[in-house]
Amino acid sequence: MNWRTEVFAGVVGAILVIPQGITFAYLAGLQPEYGLYGAIFVTLFTSFLGSSSMMSGPNTAVAILIGSAVLPLAGRGSPVYIDYVFILCLMVGLIQLLFWLVRGARIFQYLSPSAISGISAGAGFLIVMASLDSILNLSTFNTTFFYEKLYIIVSDAKDLISPYSLFIGVVTIAGGFIGRRYSHRYFLIVAVACGYLAGMLVSFIWPQPVTELEYLGRMPLQWLPLHVPTVNIEYLMTSIKLIPYALTIAFIGLAQSLVIVRELRMTTDQEIDLDKEVYAQGLANFLAPFFSTFAGSGSFNRSKANRSLGASTPLSGIVAAGFVLLLITFLGPILTYMPMAAMAGTLFIVGLDMIKWSDVKHYAPERPELVIYLATFVGIVFFGLATGIAIAVFLSVSVFLLRISQLDLSVERDASQATLKVKGSLFYASVSHLTEQFRTLRDQDLTVDLQYTTHIDQSAVDFFTHEAGSMATHGTALTLLVNDQQRAFLLSLGLSDTITLRSTQPDEGDAASE
Amino acid sequence: MNLTRSLIRVRRRSAFLASVFAALAALLLTPTALAQQSLPSIEQLVNEPFLDDYYSNVVYGYQIVNDTQHFASRYVGNALNCKNCHLNSGTKADALPLNVAGMYPKWRAKNGKRNGIGLRIRECFVYSMDGIMPPDDAPEVLAIAAYVTYLSQGEVMGAEPEGRGVPTLPATGYDPNPANGRAVYLEQCASCHGEQGGGVGDMPPVWGMNSYNRGAGMNRIDEAAGFIWANMPLGQDKSLTHQQAFDVAAYLNLQYRPADPRQSKFLKLLEDLLP
Repeated sequence: MNWRTEVFAGVVGAILVIPQGITFAYLAGLQPEYGLYGAIFVTLFTSFLGSSSMMSGPNTAVAILIGSAVLPLAGRGSPVYIDYVFILCLMVGLIQLLFWLVRGARIFQYLSPSAISGISAGAGFLIVMASLDSILNLSTFNTTFFYEKLYIIVSDAKDLISPYSLFIGVVTIAGGFIGRRYSHRYFLIVAVACGYLAGMLVSFIWPQPVTELEYLGRMPLQWLPLHVPTVNIEYLMTSIKLIPYALTIAFIGLAQSLVIVRELRMTTDQEIDLDKEVYAQGLANFLAPFFSTFAGSGSFNRSKANRSLGASTPLSGIVAAGFVLLLITFLGPILTYMPMAAMAGTLFIVGLDMIKWSDVKHYAPERPELVIYLATFVGIVFFGLATGIAIAVFLSVSVFLLRISQLDLSVERDASQATLKVKGSLFYASVSHLTEQFRTLRDQDLTVDLQYTTHIDQSAVDFFTHEAGSMATHGTALTLLVNDQQRAFLLSLGLSDTITLRSTQPDEGDAASE
Repeated sequence: MNLTRSLIRVRRRSAFLASVFAALAALLLTPTALAQQSLPSIEQLVNEPFLDDYYSNVVYGYQIVNDTQHFASRYVGNALNCKNCHLNSGTKADALPLNVAGMYPKWRAKNGKRNGIGLRIRECFVYSMDGIMPPDDAPEVLAIAAYVTYLSQGEVMGAEPEGRGVPTLPATGYDPNPANGRAVYLEQCASCHGEQGGGVGDMPPVWGMNSYNRGAGMNRIDEAAGFIWANMPLGQDKSLTHQQAFDVAAYLNLQYRPADPRQSKFLKLLEDLLP
């Protein structure tokens, strides 16, 4: 381990996480300091307890889900709202710890990568839509579908849109796109700086009572923001509505983190324990409310930056957390006059980056993957993130089940007998595929080659027994070509002795060729 | 069998009668019940373990009014709290009481447009608190609006509540004299507000960079004089003469304080960026 590399990666991570923490707190409907505490404490706990160089902390999808879960229960950012967010995060942490207890990390292998890409693209779209609020200085308003919002913005542009705010937002976005030509890693910092300067220019020419610009304001930051979340019977009764969201957040948080961790395990030589990562995420999210912050998960973009700087241990995450604490202590007074339009401009760029045309091209050759990707994206855009995630999970699992219940059957027949080769898993869902083949081959002696079959269950054995009986009435016989293990297994499941079992061992093969 | 059935019937009938009586009683008692069901007091609300969205905002608003430095620190630029001018948490008559929700929206000359209660609260943050104007959906603004609404229960919509604002002092016939004002200030006010106007202990600064700015209502001599006459020195209301109140107000206005955010933008920028 080269500790210099780790520390440098941590410092860069800290610089990257500050605008994200602030904007994701905005997405979650909370004051910016909660996001910054998340960038400190969630990052610290996950890196400290985990085993990889993954950077955790505030996350887009999790933040959006927190916002949409709690908003029906209380006004944005009000004390009750914050209490509900904390209860939600406690639930999320508990659910994730439950996942750890049942060693559930492997469940997430069934979530197709195209589903993760679709969720990310959908979240990007939601971010872009949310960022419009601040770029145009609108009061938050919700519409059922996104195009209604666009329609209202366009049709009432003259009354709704604040030109000052729009100017700052456009400068920020332009700064980001120009900055990207020169530095792929720091362009967001360039964008924020451009937005800040544009804000200074505006406030120099017009006073704030005229522009009504929204500023970040003075953040009451503490080094150790300890807080005991309010949990009493009334809160618990009303937060029953939050349980489906808690499940979704716990699931999507772990799914994203484990995708990152799996990629790290495949491409680097870090010693990574998936279950330990689940434990770290769960405990960090459970502890988050005690440190005045909300749940998070692994972050794709920061983990990528961290890797490209050569970090390979959790130390970089710990350093990042400490450095955020230092940075915000000194940056606090400067951040006070950060226009929210500039923050939203960076959010706009981040969101736009999450919708990738290359993803569509990547999944296009594989039809089911493309369907999962597009259905997830459309589901999120029209019905919200939670519904979209449900669609993604449902489709991934369906595609997975369809795939494993598929049998690869090939028939060789000659005058007297037929041979049926079965590849795949032979179980209750896939046995029915055999039925048709058996019907056409019934009038001949049949050999079923099971040596490439991965799994056989009771219903398959029952099926063979039944078919052997009906073939006997037609005067034909059924032979199964099996290896020794399968023979013992089939006999233990009670295979009828009217079926001949032939071994595939080489000496037996010699005997057969005699 | 028969006995139990009739017993059940009796029981049913008595239950029915009881419910009818209960309904009648409820109908008869409704007006008195409504009258008795007055607003929960703010102390009751503060001690409540769980409050709905409205009342939790009322409590939050009450906390902001009492301790603005802590609960609304995001938008505050000086060392004042709302309760420094809105005495007794905005419940004292003639001390800018906050029971004015019924009067908004209304047109105000200050900004030349129709003001909702939200905009009025946001302007307080810009001028009296010398801070940043919060967005109209900031939780702090909504909470104060809820508290103002709570205090305004029972007032007539559109009418001016008793003791609104500060009393308008009649003209004394003499110009305000800051030199006399200084003498009165040092004698009567300096023990709490400090000889340099910086405030002593919990008492608010009345000038200097930690006080209200040039755009605040308190920066107008009439308004300040009315407030001083009606409420100052604390606990000895109306002990000063009108002329003394005018003189002290004039003296306060001569002192340095943060600039009006509408006029000297460059100065304002420096003020805010340099500690």
